[in-house]
Amino acid sequence: MNENNTLANDNVTTFLTFILGKEIFATNVKKVLTILEMRPITKVPNSPEYMRGVINLRGNVLPVIDMRIKFGMSPTQFTDNTCIIVLNVTIEDEELQLGILVDAVDKVLELKESEIEESPSIGTKYKVEFIQGMYKLEDGFIMLLNMDLIFNSEVIILAKENESVAIDE
Amino acid sequence: MDKFRDKFIEEASDLINELEKVLLELESNKENPDLIQQIFRVMHSLKGGSAMFGFNKIDKFTHHLENIYDLIRNNKLQMTDEILDITLAAVDHLRNLAQEKDDSETKNNIQHDLLLVKIVDIINENVAGLEENKTIQPIVVASNKELSTYYISFKPYHNIFNYGTNPLYLIDELCDLGETKIFPRYDNLPDLDDLDEKKCFFYWDIFLATNQGINAISEVFIFADDQCKLKVHKISEINLLEEISFIGIIEETINNQKDINIDQLLLLTHELEKVFEKEQAKTEKQTTTTSHEAGISSIRVSSEKLDNLINWVSELVTIQARLSLFAQETETDGLLPIAEEVEKISRHLRDDVFSIRLIPIENMLTRFQRLVRELSHELNKDVVFKTEGTETELDKNIIEVLADPLMHIIRNSLDHGIESTEERKKLGKPNRSVILLKAFYSGTNVIIQISDDGKGIDPEKIKSQAILKGLISHDADFSKKEALDLLFLPGFSTAEKITKVSGRGVGMDVVKRKIAEIRGEVDIDSILNEGTTITIRLPLTLSIIDGLLVQIGETKFVIPLSSVDKCYEFKHEKLANSVNYLIRTDDHEVAFLNLREMFVIDGTPPETEHVVVVQFGETKIGLSVDNIIGQYQAVLKPLGKLYKKQQSISGATILGDGTVALVLDTNKLISDYAHSEKKIGG
Repeated sequence: MNENNTLANDNVTTFLTFILGKEIFATNVKKVLTILEMRPITKVPNSPEYMRGVINLRGNVLPVIDMRIKFGMSPTQFTDNTCIIVLNVTIEDEELQLGILVDAVDKVLELKESEIEESPSIGTKYKVEFIQGMYKLEDGFIMLLNMDLIFNSEVIILAKENESVAIDE
Repeated sequence: MDKFRDKFIEEASDLINELEKVLLELESNKENPDLIQQIFRVMHSLKGGSAMFGFNKIDKFTHHLENIYDLIRNNKLQMTDEILDITLAAVDHLRNLAQEKDDSETKNNIQHDLLLVKIVDIINENVAGLEENKTIQPIVVASNKELSTYYISFKPYHNIFNYGTNPLYLIDELCDLGETKIFPRYDNLPDLDDLDEKKCFFYWDIFLATNQGINAISEVFIFADDQCKLKVHKISEINLLEEISFIGIIEETINNQKDINIDQLLLLTHELEKVFEKEQAKTEKQTTTTSHEAGISSIRVSSEKLDNLINWVSELVTIQARLSLFAQETETDGLLPIAEEVEKISRHLRDDVFSIRLIPIENMLTRFQRLVRELSHELNKDVVFKTEGTETELDKNIIEVLADPLMHIIRNSLDHGIESTEERKKLGKPNRSVILLKAFYSGTNVIIQISDDGKGIDPEKIKSQAILKGLISHDADFSKKEALDLLFLPGFSTAEKITKVSGRGVGMDVVKRKIAEIRGEVDIDSILNEGTTITIRLPLTLSIIDGLLVQIGETKFVIPLSSVDKCYEFKHEKLANSVNYLIRTDDHEVAFLNLREMFVIDGTPPETEHVVVVQFGETKIGLSVDNIIGQYQAVLKPLGKLYKKQQSISGATILGDGTVALVLDTNKLISDYAHSEKKIGG
């Protein structure tokens, strides 16, 4: 029971990493319910673009959010790797399930507290309050996201008026 | 070997299906120990089989999963929605694993790791929690009363090792079930010269005190069934292992190299139990209540049971849709009539089950009649209370919540709304004023309107009042509607002097809050000197509706059948070239909404389009769609909080093929249309 030993250690948090465009993001696995393969999404008319629509998850209706749009990228193009991560998030004190559309899931990652760096207050193109921390890779960062906050806001997660960011629409 | 593997895969998918079925049952019945037991058994079989055929991932995975259910069935862990969700996800994952050719496939690895982490998390969290609770554990679980004693005679056949079974592991597993006293027996051991090390010559007499049933014991031996002679007897309802005299007698028997005779054993335990029971007798409570009532014409049922029943019917309706679809697609002889029959029956069943919870609003109207009668006397006003649509049915729970707010509204009307007799005379209004309560269905909603023909509400007066109370600023620019909405603010009351009847400042805001609790909406409209109308819009929470399934582009919509008037076919160009979106149907001109345009749906419409004419109140409009698929019983599912701003869609439903269709709120569409018309016209 190797997993048991490492997980019992309080300082280790487990994340699921996923890919949007060229960037890697991560969510605490505690928030994740399951990963679904792509399936037809029913678009709900007159809703914001990032709300891609609804799918059937075991007889219930699950809203699906396009994370690429939420992060200021172009809408997700479906490939074999595209999938839906089902999350449990708390919105306005109410727990609810929703799916996020991502380009690909990457891996399950265990991080010690000491390995997680605080997110810099400037210099990232995403608003700091949505980022719990960063994990440094050889050639970049993984951004650890605060999922509850992200879905509590209707805005796009780009830091406002940041000229260095080109939104590829 | 491949043949065996195929066989296993087949068996495994059966097991996985069974697992899923039981889990879904468990969802509505979380405490049921039989179901937990069943889940555990299925997982155990799955684990055994997968290990044997080299499906190591499944083996390891189910092992962890099984641990959770082991904790649950031992009451060390509470079944939660979270566990259920994870197990269901795990079931899907197991299905994928069973499809893998061998363990080197990696495409399911991420999901695998993820689920493993979550499963282990649950176990860890709860093992930790358990330790905190340890102080109370012994009292609850270890009471002698709850443990039973079993005698197990386990005689492996000589060849048991050939099957790869190690009897000691089985005994180990038994020890996990509770307190044991084990007597190894080696009377059959041959002389050293004749000893064949590949054969088993031992047998065991085991006494086990456990709170688990006999099934749990048999399960330990589930794979060794045909490799041993096994006898399991429950010998007592109490834990005999704590009785020194019992152990003494057994030890003596065994030391004398005698076999244990089950009849004698039972006799012995019977004696011991008697002694034990005498001690217990003092503390036993006696509760006997028997009453017989003759001629029961109605029964009380807990609403929980009703909810369960309704859930099952909803499931049935959904699965029936799948059956109908399948019957149509396969065109197997004779299947279609059966599917149609099932549809008919499930429709009846649905109506009956749902009607159990519904009661007509008539039931709560008597108290309003009385209220109006008494209050109007007191206030010296001549008021008559009229009702319409009292047969409209609503969920009992909703009616219960609704009574208070309605009472409030009617009181307000009587006190503030309706003028005194002199005032009415001055205005040339009839002496007798009317309060009308009107209820009706509107698609998937029930609407209750309370209107009076009193003096109405002056928006200017509200505004000045609000400014006075500091609720709004001086220069705020308010439309009439916005001004009327101020009435719903906490601490607002327009009564110039506080009266006994109303006007304590806890008026409409409480009404609004109460109604919001049952997911309803309140709206207020008033014309000065003509009267006030308060509209309450309530959802049908018990919601399976009959609908018309239509399609626009890729998206499917359900139009509530209750609002559908007629359907027509039109050539696309005729609709496209129509003036002002008007079309001629039969003898009338009907305005239509181009839903494809309204909903911004991509693609080109087909050559022949359909127009579904829907009606709300007096207004009829057409809705243009690509295609009419047919009638459909829709189990309404809410779209959820994220879509709360969505107005023209009242919910969603799952279709037979598993995709989602959206339910149109036709009344909203129609009333929005009517409003916009008025604006253009006036």
